[in-house]
Amino acid sequence: MEELLSNKAIRAYLLRIIGDEGLDLLSKYPDNNEYSDEELAAKTGINLNSVRHTLYTLYEKRLAEYRRIKNNETGWLTYLWQLRMDTIYDSIRGDLERVLDKLQARARFEEENDFYICKSCGIICTFNQAIDVNFICPDCDQQMAHFDNEMLLRALKKRITTMKLTLGHA
Amino acid sequence: MSEPMNNPIEEALKVIQSKPEGILQSELWKILDVDSRKCSRIVKKLLDTGLIERTEFKKEGIKTYVLTVSKRPLDPAQILAGEDLIPCIGCEDECNVIECNRLMDWMYQLAIAEAEETA
Repeated sequence: MEELLSNKAIRAYLLRIIGDEGLDLLSKYPDNNEYSDEELAAKTGINLNSVRHTLYTLYEKRLAEYRRIKNNETGWLTYLWQLRMDTIYDSIRGDLERVLDKLQARARFEEENDFYICKSCGIICTFNQAIDVNFICPDCDQQMAHFDNEMLLRALKKRITTMKLTLGHA
Repeated sequence: MSEPMNNPIEEALKVIQSKPEGILQSELWKILDVDSRKCSRIVKKLLDTGLIERTEFKKEGIKTYVLTVSKRPLDPAQILAGEDLIPCIGCEDECNVIECNRLMDWMYQLAIAEAEETA
């Protein structure tokens, strides 16, 4: 776990999904055995609701799984949780595939359009939008200027290429 | 006759990916409907990218190659621009990829990180 969390991309990914308290739970998770949510709260000192929220979120990403056992005397169900951090790369791969589609759509838009910017408030319009307002910023009435997106587009295209490479696309 | 190919390299990769046990190069060019010389050039390009691997194989005394997809570990750093995680992950907003300001900010970070790398 320590090794996974020391990878800054994996850490940032998990932080986005489960937040600070979720990361806290992962770093304090006793070992990779099965525990009930109450046991985990007691062992880590993290609020029970927060533990449950983290476990359910991890479950949705297939990063945790549970086994349900029934107490025959009381009929109560107990959920025993186990982390599945071995699937973290699959989880990131799934997100990366979706992100790649979005970045390709954005790159096409950046490539097919000419842009104008208001240097006062920073608003950016396409050429057609700028024509409609006579190149005057709709927010602050300042003259708009041409915006060169070449650097942005170059960086975006490069990232798309490296994403494709790591995903095994041609 | 197979359908016309948009990108023969992508087409070849798809065929190789569909065969986890690998495919003979001598079969690949028949599936792609190209001649063996053209197939060799396509395979060379895929080998150069590291997306596939090839091992020598003899079929009926004739030397050919088995082509398999490379098992590459995923590079998680692709979701970062500098220290910033791409906003699309975990985003629950309705996606408007061409007007997303958070994505625009991330793209600026990407361009900055790129400029710092090449500096």
